[in-house]
Amino acid sequence: MSTAFTFDLHQSGAGASAASVARHGTVSITSRSSVQHGPSTKKRVIETPGCLMFSSKGSVPHLTPDNMRLQAFGGVHVSLEQLLHPDQPASFSKWPLASPFNSSSKFTLAEYLHLQDLILMCDLRDYASFSAFASPSSAASDAISSRLLGPNTDRYALLSTPKGVRQLTMDDYLQIVRQYRPDIMVALADNIVERKTKSSESQQGPAEKRVRKSVERSLKWLDQILLEREGQDGRMEDRRIEEEKKRRRERKEKKRAAMVVEQQQEGDAPEASSKETVPEEAESDTPIEIVPMATEPWREVALFAHVLGSHLEAERIMSAQETARRKGVDGFVIDTSALTEMVEMDQVLKLVEASVEHLPSQKPRIVYGVQTPEDVLRAIALGVDLFDTSYPYHLTEDGKASLYGFGEDPSPESVSAADNSSIRNNRWINLWDDEHGDKFVPIMEGCECYACKGGRHTRAYINHLLKTHEMLATVLLMSHNMHQYGLFFQHVRESIKEGTFEKHSKAFHETFGKEPKRTAEKHQAQLVVEAALTKRNQRLEGAEEAVVDAIGTGEKLVKKRSEVEGVEADKTEKKAKKEGDATTQEQQ
Amino acid sequence: MKSALKWDVIAKCSTTKARAAVLNLPHGPVNAPVFMPVGTQGTLKGITPDQIEGLGCQIMLNNTYHLGLRPGQELLDACGGAHVFQGWNRNLLTDSGGFQMVSLLKLAEITEQGVQFESPHDGSLMLLTPEHSMSLQNSIGADIMMQLDDVVSSLTTGPRVEEAMWRSIRWLDRCIKAHKKPESQNLFAIIQGGLDPALRKQCIDEMVKRDTPGYAIGGLSGGEEKDKFWRVVSLCTDLMPREKPIYCMGVGYAEDLVVCVALGVDMFDCVFPTRTARFGNALTATGTLSLRQAKYKDDFRPIEEGCDCIACKSYTRAYLYTVVTKETVGCHLVSIHNTAYQLRLMRQMRESIIEDRFPQFIHKFFKDLFVERSAYPEWAVNALKSVNVDLLKEGDN
Repeated sequence: MSTAFTFDLHQSGAGASAASVARHGTVSITSRSSVQHGPSTKKRVIETPGCLMFSSKGSVPHLTPDNMRLQAFGGVHVSLEQLLHPDQPASFSKWPLASPFNSSSKFTLAEYLHLQDLILMCDLRDYASFSAFASPSSAASDAISSRLLGPNTDRYALLSTPKGVRQLTMDDYLQIVRQYRPDIMVALADNIVERKTKSSESQQGPAEKRVRKSVERSLKWLDQILLEREGQDGRMEDRRIEEEKKRRRERKEKKRAAMVVEQQQEGDAPEASSKETVPEEAESDTPIEIVPMATEPWREVALFAHVLGSHLEAERIMSAQETARRKGVDGFVIDTSALTEMVEMDQVLKLVEASVEHLPSQKPRIVYGVQTPEDVLRAIALGVDLFDTSYPYHLTEDGKASLYGFGEDPSPESVSAADNSSIRNNRWINLWDDEHGDKFVPIMEGCECYACKGGRHTRAYINHLLKTHEMLATVLLMSHNMHQYGLFFQHVRESIKEGTFEKHSKAFHETFGKEPKRTAEKHQAQLVVEAALTKRNQRLEGAEEAVVDAIGTGEKLVKKRSEVEGVEADKTEKKAKKEGDATTQEQQ
Repeated sequence: MKSALKWDVIAKCSTTKARAAVLNLPHGPVNAPVFMPVGTQGTLKGITPDQIEGLGCQIMLNNTYHLGLRPGQELLDACGGAHVFQGWNRNLLTDSGGFQMVSLLKLAEITEQGVQFESPHDGSLMLLTPEHSMSLQNSIGADIMMQLDDVVSSLTTGPRVEEAMWRSIRWLDRCIKAHKKPESQNLFAIIQGGLDPALRKQCIDEMVKRDTPGYAIGGLSGGEEKDKFWRVVSLCTDLMPREKPIYCMGVGYAEDLVVCVALGVDMFDCVFPTRTARFGNALTATGTLSLRQAKYKDDFRPIEEGCDCIACKSYTRAYLYTVVTKETVGCHLVSIHNTAYQLRLMRQMRESIIEDRFPQFIHKFFKDLFVERSAYPEWAVNALKSVNVDLLKEGDN
């Protein structure tokens, strides 16, 4: 089987102007395989401007694979640090050669995550963990905060995995790519992960010297990766340095050993030490010879590279120009997630612009950390092609359901009735608000998402699910918010085609304004529900005694229930089959 | 009394008391024997109504107590009942709310009037009467509703058991009287009487006179010895009218289901499959997998070979190991699998009854689950022996 990555830009319609370099294109992965009945071709595409779905541990949050496929996005973005086990890549040897689900295909990451029909893009760091907009997502919360990571070195980058911080060497990286074979892999880069402790310094961003180092180191790694991808030995220089270090170390040790001997023999054999130095010098004269090693190419994996430079425009330009010069690079990543903590969005977009200007136009650019619809529109106008779906995910986590739209008829609903709502706006409603408790209408009339379609699930029902702490709440919200975000991009593409992008963008900014600042504070209703839950759990313990009082039984009932819950909570596996825990079988 | 169901027995096992039937309810047919997943608060633990339907589920449970609290009767009336509220167009069964009162609430006290309890909101004293329970269940609109019964633990002995039995009969009368929609909702009586055969018999005699559309065996699954449990079940199925569905409340472990079906029970419910899923435990024919355990880290098999649920068709145990108890998706996937497992088990039993090879099915089921005959639970062996299946003798499968 062979696959090919392509990016085609489509002619934009009339009305394109100097103020916008917005473009419409298609990212495609074409797979050719020869099966029994002749060759077959499969094409997976993402229309741009468009999105890769944001994922957590390889799944789109809250959406099981069937529900996820109701969404119109053609691809998924996976951050490998959320998935890597401490013993990987070594334990890849335990992976089956063929997929357990399809014996004719190799067991790649796409097979492992059941994403074969979508475009899979992998990066190493979880950009969501950097962002100021980060939510208490499960992946981010169980990963160690990136603030605790130390700086990367020439030998490795640091990753924050669910089981702790680990080093990732170039060797690890290459083994991972060869096993996982995603459609798009991002080159290992020296993203600046360490933070200054003083807040005043972190405001200013990392020092110029560190930024330059990050740009240079990333380029060096990129060159190695590009060689390896072609089946050439990209690590000869590394091995030469290693060898030099080794020799230096050996020399030092020998010297030390000689000195010890000298000290011991002092007096009775003084000439011995002078003899020792002769072979040492002779040895250091032998030239270091590094033999190139045969490696397995992985040309079918498209390679994207990070454009770095932090908050420094000159470094951004340097990084963009240098990265753009590498012909093998198929696309570019501009990660602004750390920047959004340092500077205002206006400045972030200026830095994006500085990078994009120096990138070849015929290759796609993805930006991390630009999420809200209005910021996305501004980035699209700068020529950015790809984003991710963190925005609808964050809305969902907050209990918000989106109402915004883009195009001729954005049909903003008046949500001024939101008296209890802490923030007023017309881009979303917060379904935690009490006012939705008796609204037996869908989130959005006419919306075709799973939640709204046919009026099946109402605002009142989702409000009920939130207040009863039921997981279907986020399933329905995610279905709706993702659907609307997808629709937003679809309408943006249409407007670029028709030459109305600028006009509609302007209308969008005027109609919907700016995203209210997202805070870490929970909705009042959520706090009440959570407090009640805690109380209920405490009461449950009390209720055990009440049951005994009310029904007049012995202590067995009480003991059984607490036993069962205790066992469920801890790690032993015996619990499931215990006869006695029938107590908890009853409806609760 | 009036009935809004049709009970068609389509096959009877020639060895045991098991039967296969179709229970025709207002929201469509239900193939029995049936396991009913529990969607306590009007939702089945993160699984969408379409997914539940896709698993072949024809009837689900809601809890009256919880829906009465939230969204509350007023809103249920306003939107037209629980089916519409949760977007579920198939059948619903609701309990009476009595069990939750007694098990969850502080200072629940049972009087002739009803169950008195402290409001979870403001601590004030509230009263759930048979009339109020019926009114709530009429608002919910469940296809099957349960009478309010006087719940006593199955471990209770002495006069309290008899008192509860007689009171449950009196409350049944009040429920029948208060039930506003007998033409569209079926009221089931609940047999009480603890572990005492004489009381159970008396209760059945009285309740059968009331001629409700179906009957439930109540007051079990409260931690009693399994050997006593099955004897009560078997006694009840012997004495209850065979032309009506029989529901054993709160039973859901696989081996319990198999034994109870052999004893003649048609309907079951239990929170166990979905609850245990949230802790990362997956049910299979050969036992439970605790997917949080590191031994599944490099296990590239599906949860269960041959299972066609979305978890088994999409993912390996190795992947599930990384998401269970971490991502809501992990929880949804195992819940879907466990529900699929329960429903498949019921389907397989039903098919084997129709093809009159249920005893062979039982032999295979126990062999797959417990491997060694020495590991078979004694109570199950005894129970099955009472319906002519000797697990310890030749396994003719």
